[in-house]
Amino acid sequence: MSTIRVRSAASYWLAVPAAVWMLGVVVVPIVLLGWVSLWGGRSFSPASPLTFDNYSRFFANKTYLQLALSTVTHTAMLMAVTGMVGYAIAYFMTMKVRHPAWRLVLFLAFVVPFWTSTLIRGIAWVPFLGVNGVINQALMFTGATRSPIEAFLYSRFGIGLAQVSLYTMMAAGPVIYMLNNIAPQLREAAMTLKAPPRVVFWRIVFPLTLPGVVIGQVLVFLNVMADFATVATVGGNKHAMLPNLVLLFYEGSQHRAASVVAVLLMACMLIGVIAAMKVVDIRRLGTER
Amino acid sequence: MDTLAHTVTGSEAVVPAIARPQLDLELRGIRKRYGDFTAVDGVSLKVKKGQFVCLLGPSGCGKTTSLRCIAGLEEPDDGDILIGGKEVTKDPPWERDIAMMFQDFALFPHMTVAKNVAFGLEMLKKPRAAIAERVQQVLKSFEIAALAERKPGSLSGGQRQRVALARAMITEPRILLLDEPIGALDYSLRETVMLELKMLQQRTGISFIWVTHDQNEAFSLGDLVVVMNHAKIEQQGAPEEILQRPATAFVASFVQGNNVFHGKVVEAADGLLKVATPAGSFLVPGAGLGPGSEVSFSVRAENLTDITDQHHLNRLTARCTAVEYFGSVRRHIFERSDGELLKYDQFGAYAARIAAGQVTTLGWRPQDAVLHTGIAG
Repeated sequence: MSTIRVRSAASYWLAVPAAVWMLGVVVVPIVLLGWVSLWGGRSFSPASPLTFDNYSRFFANKTYLQLALSTVTHTAMLMAVTGMVGYAIAYFMTMKVRHPAWRLVLFLAFVVPFWTSTLIRGIAWVPFLGVNGVINQALMFTGATRSPIEAFLYSRFGIGLAQVSLYTMMAAGPVIYMLNNIAPQLREAAMTLKAPPRVVFWRIVFPLTLPGVVIGQVLVFLNVMADFATVATVGGNKHAMLPNLVLLFYEGSQHRAASVVAVLLMACMLIGVIAAMKVVDIRRLGTER
Repeated sequence: MDTLAHTVTGSEAVVPAIARPQLDLELRGIRKRYGDFTAVDGVSLKVKKGQFVCLLGPSGCGKTTSLRCIAGLEEPDDGDILIGGKEVTKDPPWERDIAMMFQDFALFPHMTVAKNVAFGLEMLKKPRAAIAERVQQVLKSFEIAALAERKPGSLSGGQRQRVALARAMITEPRILLLDEPIGALDYSLRETVMLELKMLQQRTGISFIWVTHDQNEAFSLGDLVVVMNHAKIEQQGAPEEILQRPATAFVASFVQGNNVFHGKVVEAADGLLKVATPAGSFLVPGAGLGPGSEVSFSVRAENLTDITDQHHLNRLTARCTAVEYFGSVRRHIFERSDGELLKYDQFGAYAARIAAGQVTTLGWRPQDAVLHTGIAG
């Protein structure tokens, strides 16, 4: 038992290091970004007048809006795919794999790749998807196609494929946790009340795992929205999402435009998380059984 | 709750009642193994219509596994299960005419009390208005109408128990399976709940199969008590039968108030066996056993006396080590010469005649002892 009481002086002092850190690396940069995005005038300096001109310029450009829209639809598509695949994996691992040793093996098979950085795992798809890549060679070897398919690499499809492999376990992890928390008697009770397995799933299992699904979706949403590395490597220079636009402006020293896109990206993410919290209050997770 | 009365289904009407007495449940040699462990080993049981059956035994004796086989939650490796005369051994739970109450009640945590109770009717695809009406009726009769919109997480143990019972009973099953249904309740609540459940069972005529390790529950509730040990049925019969005529040494020692003796027959004559035990030689009614046969017998604690006359042919001198007073019964614990304990009960509120530390001779008539024949009734 802790002897430090809530709201005592000691408890506040203990929070100071974390608070200072968060202030320095999260709050201040975000405020700075927001501030810079409002700088008007010709020179890049704190003395600039504050206007919404930078935002107007962004919204006036059809290409940028198209890009924002495609980022959102791409993310939605990826959430749907990782959500379904992730749920299936989670269900299989917790409900169908009964032997503990197999469970461990499968768990490791899913987790070990995470010991490598996301960037490396993204890049690792390039030799698979390329014109002379593993997939094309296999397809031609089996005679499925005569000439290599170019659409794999440097395409939306390739980006999606790589991102599904990167983020599916983020969708599956919270669901595994929730599934493990469902007492077997609940499903048995439903069965003795004349519910066939499909009904047991939709009336009992799925609603009880919904918080896990939502958390998984939030994780995938945030990661895909922010993922410029996979888009850049697997997508080549042919494809871009909002975060790539930030990078593009930054490299072109257009800091104000970069700030505008960054702020809009953050706004999108914030809206997404708030929407998710409306469905399930993540903070209350695990308190109800 | 009288509206929960069991309705006769078509399949029952086909079989003439005179030709075959109605059986709600029949188990024929059920066997269930988990790897090297045999959980249920050849259990056979017949449950008559509207019977209250208690499966009694220590933990791990196979009573819960048997119940789960009846529910369809486990499939037996061998044997047949018949519900209402229909073979259901391979049928899944949702196709059986049963309902089950779980030890921790297994209420659906994400549904309100009303939704929990309505679940079974929704599965039967009843019209929505009819379900709503029936749920209100049942909630009222189980005195949980005020809890209708609450979630199970905010209920007390006793309230959960009522909700679980209402949820199971609303579908009017042929058989209600109860797995230690009051084990999770406070001790003070149990007696009331037991009485309510017994009355409910009698009113509705639904067969109850009640699994418990508590003999007080089994003997006060069951029309038929089935004592199990090591995956097998040791004895089945009416409570009085099991209390007064235990068939095996296990039943005798598991049931409270028996003194169990193990020994060898040394002489057999006139329907009496003389059995030599480490605590002495005693006469026990019995026949058909020759000298040298290994036997066990028991004497109930209330059949002993410390005021012996010429009828008390069996005598034993022992030291009283403790006296327990239960209000209507005074139980004396003696230590036998072979180190085993001997229990002697006196009824009534008399002043104690025997004090701890005293050495006394206790006696009993031969006909008060029960030879364990091992034949399940």
